This record gives sequence, C-alpha cells and structure tokens, in this order.
Amino acid sequence: MAERRKFKKRYCRYCEQKVEFIDYKDLGMLKYSLSERYKIMPRRLTGNCKKHQEMVTGAIKKARQTALIPYIVDRKRVVENPFELIK
Amino acid sequence: MNHYETLFIIKPTLTEEEIKSQVERVKSIIANQNGELLATQDMGMRKLAYEIDKQNRGYYTVVYYTAPADAISELERQLRYNEEILRFMTVKYSNKKEIAQYKKMVDAVSKSSSSEDTTKKASEATEASESAE
Ligand SMILES: [Zn+2]
Repeated sequence: MAERRKFKKRYCRYCEQKVEFIDYKDLGMLKYSLSERYKIMPRRLTGNCKKHQEMVTGAIKKARQTALIPYIVDRKRVVENPFELIK
Repeated sequence: MNHYETLFIIKPTLTEEEIKSQVERVKSIIANQNGELLATQDMGMRKLAYEIDKQNRGYYTVVYYTAPADAISELERQLRYNEEILRFMTVKYSNKKEIAQYKKMVDAVSKSSSSEDTTKKASEATEASESAE
C-alpha cells in the first residue's frame, strides 16, 4: 500500500531535496528509484526529472557492480527482506 | 593530476591484521605512482548483495586520491592480480561540478574518520553482520 502511494505524487524527489550529485555508496538516495526487485523504476512511475534519472541510473549501476545492491532478485536469490540492504 | 576514488572489497576470510596490510598495500601503490591520498573511508565488513568468488561478505574500503592518469592502469593491474581483492572500482571525477562534489565527499569522510575510532567501527560491523546471520 505504501508502495502504491509512492507512485501517485509525481514530482522529482531529488529536485525537491535540491540534490546536485548522487553518490553510488549512498544507498538511501538510490532507494526512491528502485523497485522491490531492485529494478530501476521508470520515470513515468517515480516522477524523476530527466537530469536526476540519468544521475541515479549511473549511481545504481555502480552500486550493482560493487555488490552494494543486487542485479536481480529472483526465486533462487530471494532476499528475505528486499530492502534490508538500503534501509 | 585527476581526482579519483577507488572502492575495493577484501576477502572476509582474512584476519584484521591482514585486512589492514591489504589496505596499506593499496595506499602504497598510489603513493608509488605519484598519487596523493586525500581520504580513506572504512565501510567495514558488509554483506555482499550477491556472491562473489563464493564469498557472501566482504570488507569495503574506499580511497580518495589525486593521481596522474597512468597511475590507474598500474593500480588496477595490481588489484586484478591480488587474489585477496574480490572486486574493485575506480571512479574519475572530471568536470568542475563533479570535483566540487568530490571535495565535499572527501571533507565528509575525513571528518567522520577523525572523530570515530575506525578499528572499533570495523569490529562492530563484523559483530553486526554475524548476529544477522
Ligand atoms: Zn530532478
């Protein structure tokens, strides 16, 4: 339910917080743009602006490469609590 | 001279002493390549988001430094051949805006590492990850 509410407000959370740069190690910053399965959420659902979407996409890809967040969450690799890593 | 950060993950099977010497080794490579170390961020033992070389945990360290461009290939070559390093990634901060953000990060890291005892933080992180299992 909380998830659904998140999509309804369509504004860029990063613009709202006046974010100039997203560090890939700052997982709290990435979580607004990740789905429960750690997919990058499209802009039409999150409301991110183009500038911040590109910034966060780059950061998410770096975080994946350094095993800070998973590439995929499938049936074999279920995380008990999907958001435990970025809480 | 360019601005870089390199994150590397050390195997969790090493002892605390061995981990420290691995970190020192990386720092000395940077120094030998005429790089200047600006800050070290000790992220401690963390659970990996996916298995790497049959390991589920790793010891994360990030070094921030300025160095000439050819230093990176030598550093990465040595990291690649080091079997105790599970993974590494270097990020270059090039334009003015990025460098300004980079400096902010370095300041934040050096402030937090000087106020806290890093070895204490590391052992706490180990305990936390063990109790989570
Ligand atoms: Zn924005």
